[in-house]
Amino acid sequence: MVGDTQKHKSGGLMGFLEERLSLTELRHLAEKKKVPVHSQSVWYYLGGIAAILFMIMVSSGVLLMVYYVPEIQAAHASILKINSGVDFGWFFRSMHSWGANILIMVVMAHLFSTFFMKAYRGPRELTWLTGLVLMVVCLAFGFTGYLLPWDTVSFFATKIGIEVAEKTPLIGPIVAHLLRGGDAIGQSTISRFFVIHVALLPICLLALGGLHVFFVQVHGISEPSKFKLQDEAKKMYEKFFPDFFFKDILVWILAVNVLFVLVTLMPWGIGPEADPFAAAPAGIKPEWYFLAPFQFLKLVPPMVGPIEGELFGMGLLGLVGLGFVLVPFFDTGKSKTRSMIATIFGVAVLLGLIGFSVWGALS
Amino acid sequence: MNYPLWVVPYLGGPWVIGIVAIIHMFISHFAVGGGMFLAVAEEMAYRRKDERIYDFLKMHSRFFVIITTVAGAVTGVGIWFSIALVSPDGIASLIQTFSLAWAEEYLFFVAELATAFAYYYTWDKISREAHLKLARYYMVFSIMTLVIINGILTFMLTPGRWLQTHNWIDGVFNPTYWPSLIIRLLIMCAIAGMYALVTSSRIKDPHFRTAMVRYSATWLLPVFLIGPLVTFWFLHQIPQAALHNIFTGIQTSGVGNFSILARALYCSLLLSGTIILFAFFGPYLNPRGFSFRIALLFMVVGFTATGTTEWMRELLRKPFVVYNYMYSNGIRKTDIKEITDTGFLNKGKWAKTLAAATNDECKKGEVVFRYQCMSCHTINGYRSMKNLLGDRNEESLVGFLNMLKETDKEKNPYSGIMPPLAANQDEVKLLAKYLATINEKERQSNQAVGDRGGKGTM
Repeated sequence: MVGDTQKHKSGGLMGFLEERLSLTELRHLAEKKKVPVHSQSVWYYLGGIAAILFMIMVSSGVLLMVYYVPEIQAAHASILKINSGVDFGWFFRSMHSWGANILIMVVMAHLFSTFFMKAYRGPRELTWLTGLVLMVVCLAFGFTGYLLPWDTVSFFATKIGIEVAEKTPLIGPIVAHLLRGGDAIGQSTISRFFVIHVALLPICLLALGGLHVFFVQVHGISEPSKFKLQDEAKKMYEKFFPDFFFKDILVWILAVNVLFVLVTLMPWGIGPEADPFAAAPAGIKPEWYFLAPFQFLKLVPPMVGPIEGELFGMGLLGLVGLGFVLVPFFDTGKSKTRSMIATIFGVAVLLGLIGFSVWGALS
Repeated sequence: MNYPLWVVPYLGGPWVIGIVAIIHMFISHFAVGGGMFLAVAEEMAYRRKDERIYDFLKMHSRFFVIITTVAGAVTGVGIWFSIALVSPDGIASLIQTFSLAWAEEYLFFVAELATAFAYYYTWDKISREAHLKLARYYMVFSIMTLVIINGILTFMLTPGRWLQTHNWIDGVFNPTYWPSLIIRLLIMCAIAGMYALVTSSRIKDPHFRTAMVRYSATWLLPVFLIGPLVTFWFLHQIPQAALHNIFTGIQTSGVGNFSILARALYCSLLLSGTIILFAFFGPYLNPRGFSFRIALLFMVVGFTATGTTEWMRELLRKPFVVYNYMYSNGIRKTDIKEITDTGFLNKGKWAKTLAAATNDECKKGEVVFRYQCMSCHTINGYRSMKNLLGDRNEESLVGFLNMLKETDKEKNPYSGIMPPLAANQDEVKLLAKYLATINEKERQSNQAVGDRGGKGTM
């Protein structure tokens, strides 16, 4: 009894919250977490930027859902209305579109930075694998969201994208049929893409993102090999809370700022409404993040030996993906040669990604 | 029209002035704000007899003197150079009005430079009292340059009674003079604080660094506490038509018509908000973690905020270079009717000579384009004519240009945003002929696509 009275007297609102949420314990936990300080520490901020951008995507997406109509006759008109008829609708729509592009860029940078810092090595294999699936989820967000405005470019780019996926052996035709809801892109496709975009993918992302963060908490922030090998006395750390956290907030502010400047100076437009019966306009390309595989597949000859060219190309792309999945088990940190091979593989993929994307954009 | 013009492809001449001017503006604001910071901080060091503050100020003043004297002077000359080539008629009009004001500003500028050098080179060589006096002199001289130039800058947006009296004193003390002076002084303090944050972040002693980072951050407070009120005062004093342009821009932001002013406003507000948050979560809440790199990033945000705010101020007076007096293409408002009746190509020393030198109708049309459109548009870069013309042919261009001649907003939606076209009917045709050569390829390719589409539907 006496103890209870004292607790209430000690804090007011803070005491009330302390009693129910154990804030001091949480604070101690956050203070206990250490962030290594070294020349590559800057890459540690990318995960946080991705998280803040995801929150922006959710909030702007919810606002867009108020006015967006996932119906073939009304989808395009509803986006036009958001852009010009709803107060600041253009702002939230541009924020959603620009945010999506920046988010994918940041997630890619995060993936490659962790790859080159060898953060995938044990015991962080599961952190790495959940991160990889999160990357795929982000790309799926981009793919499904791109069709929703139902303009000419998005319609034909989606059509080509599904046709490419259809070539995957065994599951390709089934997946394509499921996505389209039939043999051609139409109302069923827009309904399915909408449901996947606003319900299924967010659930996947929240679950996987939660797991990813949980693994980061369990294993702590990874340290590059050079840092690990230093004398304990020379190693520098900073507390996650408040030191790193406050710097993280500054980086979030800057990232959001970049987004706002892009949104205000270059608001996202919309092309003419899609006409499924019209011929595809010349030079249709997918979004920038799919340009590299698209350009690569364009270069593969129609037949490679007995195998169909596109199938062969997709097989190669699949192998690259498999390489990323298996890398933690291949390069465990025990062999220098394997570590070198993994780095070369990463550099080759990164250069290929940049090279083919630029080539695709220019061609 | 009385002078030769500099054609800057893609970027456009006004952006050359803009880029140089924004850099100059940032440095000159930094020079004045930094002058105040040095004087106040040295006073603090003197009163407290704090050697650490003196050491800090020595370090702080080295880069300060280099950047303000060298970069400030180079960009200052750069503004004169570029403006004389891009907008000669406009600057000629300003020089004729403000010769005496500029001469005075130059005197204060020379005094400012002299005290800046004296201040830096006399550290530990003269008494501390005398050195403090030098800091105060520098502060006064640098503020005086602002006191004068602020009059000329604000005159361009709100010439006020000058329009009737043509007295330069009326031009200087115009309706937005005082709010602008106050807000610029506040911004200058903020920029000085940002720079002090950069130098403070390099102090080695952690306790002193924390103290100086916190102190430097307080220099950002006045602009956020008093700034909104003074901005409201400023907006109250500007022409109602300019305010109307902002609201039209807000309403049409999504469509993109006429919204550039509104977008500059959004950017300015967002970046200013960023600075408040940054200052709070950075130097105020976590002074120990406020590193040199973060301080530099903060400077970049400050630079961008200043840049967009200056850009917005420039956009406010569009389509004029001197509001309600001279359009951005250097044509006086009162001359429009006469030029429309009697023609443009027989006016102005340079335009007249260029037009007389050729019999080619397209080239004559190009002369009209250069003198009347190029102060805002480029052929295929910023505000590209190629994009804006779409696939209009010569005939429809004549109709469009005739609409641009109207000064009535009911007949010409661009009125108040673009200067009216000042040309007689023959010149309208010459200009249309020239413009039709700019979008010729687009017209032909669209025609080809149309033909293909037609065949397809067959």
